[in-house]
Amino acid sequence: MIITKKKDFQELMENIKNYKSFFLLGCSECATLCGTGGEPQLQEMKEALEAEGKEVTGTFVAKTGCQVLGTKVELKPHKDAISKAECIIVMSCGAGTQTAVELYEDKPVYPANDSMFLGNMTRLQMFDERCSLCGKCILDKTGGICPITACPKGLLNGPCGGCKDGHCEISPDIKCAWVRIYERMKRLGKLQELCDTTLEAKDWSASQKPRTLIAREEKKK
Amino acid sequence: MSFRDVLNSGKFVVTAEVGPPKGTDISEMIHHMELLKGKVDAINVTDNQSAVMRICSMAVCKIALEHGLEPILQMTCRDRNRIGLQSDLLGASILGIKNVLCMTGDHVSAGDHKGAKPVYDVESVQLLKIVDSLNNGKDMSGNELKGSTDFFQGAVVTPEANPLEPQLMKFEKKVKAGAKFFQTQAIYDIEKFKEFMKHARKFPVKVLAGFVVLKSAGMAKFLNNNVPGIRVPEELIEELKAAGKEKALDTGMDITARHIRQLKEEGICDGVHIMAIGMEDKVPEIMQRAGLL
Repeated sequence: MIITKKKDFQELMENIKNYKSFFLLGCSECATLCGTGGEPQLQEMKEALEAEGKEVTGTFVAKTGCQVLGTKVELKPHKDAISKAECIIVMSCGAGTQTAVELYEDKPVYPANDSMFLGNMTRLQMFDERCSLCGKCILDKTGGICPITACPKGLLNGPCGGCKDGHCEISPDIKCAWVRIYERMKRLGKLQELCDTTLEAKDWSASQKPRTLIAREEKKK
Repeated sequence: MSFRDVLNSGKFVVTAEVGPPKGTDISEMIHHMELLKGKVDAINVTDNQSAVMRICSMAVCKIALEHGLEPILQMTCRDRNRIGLQSDLLGASILGIKNVLCMTGDHVSAGDHKGAKPVYDVESVQLLKIVDSLNNGKDMSGNELKGSTDFFQGAVVTPEANPLEPQLMKFEKKVKAGAKFFQTQAIYDIEKFKEFMKHARKFPVKVLAGFVVLKSAGMAKFLNNNVPGIRVPEELIEELKAAGKEKALDTGMDITARHIRQLKEEGICDGVHIMAIGMEDKVPEIMQRAGLL
């Protein structure tokens, strides 16, 4: 999921200081799991804004905020509340914010959250980055552990000299990705394969931005 | 004789390190070069060591050549992408720089520009392959070069890494990628180093053992606690303690000289790399005590 965290409230207030009325848009997917854009957070935001003398014309938690057409349909019943608001505050990720930008061309849209990374929830409200969305997965060669993400240097062929007692030079809290990969491949009996494979320099063109994908099959005429 | 030829001749070689200064005043650095001239077989010029921004390695390598020293260009993957690295390698080649040490490079978080974007477009193993490719007249994309390079390429290894096995895996990958020589992280335990050399001797590469002179027991403890891959044995710390504050540095130099002498006499490795880190002026004396001058 996309991991988000709330922006500092004062920073948000500074961004929206010229507006008086708002519509709040959350998301039931990642932002709800992150505690940044579910019903309770929208309610909290409503109360906080009202305490600052602002008006909230309506709130809505979209099913999937990054799904543009679905969100458009869902928001139809909220047309009046949205048109009464001077601007929209989106409490999801940057993708959700830009759904609102696409749907409401003439209305200012502000993000309430910072989008952090693609991560896994390991425990309640604890998230780890596991995938960098590089566009060309190498997990098949690294025992299912991504060194592009788990190693701060993104090394592809083994640990650097900064590995200390199995931990990373940049923080003792980070376990060396290559020690993890080595241990896992050993456990799987695939050490020889790991040692015999030198991964070539990565082709970063697969992550050239902005990326698009048309996954559906076009109907043949 | 070039560093490559000296190393291949079987002579026990000595390399030292020169760290480019931060700023344009190079007078002290030139003084260090003059001290080392005619004594060491080559000098490594570090590449923004510890991710602290300084004069670039290539410019200082050129100055070293002008002062009659043979430079080893240290090249990290931290600050340049594959285009920058290859372009700099071609540039180094036309300046007459013959040796390159391929490294990954300390992370920017260790340095003085912590907000910098680390590059690591390629890493040490791939950089070695790049050098090999340039030596063979092609860039890494396979495009023909008008004139190829003739580098003698090396890499680094940490014989006392913990855990060691993944480090040895990388060592072998570096050998396969074309590394001709290795300079090691500082070693303090000769018996352990011998174990590593038993493994390294299976490969057709030259190994230079790394040395960092201990100035005090406190420094030894600091290295043990903070520097990955360095382990100063307790008996050396005791030896430094027993020497007392005034004689600690002298004892540290003795320890280094003693170890170097042993490596040479027992033919354990092919040479040594002395990283003086601010004590470049002591290198000739250490060499003398080790019987190398």
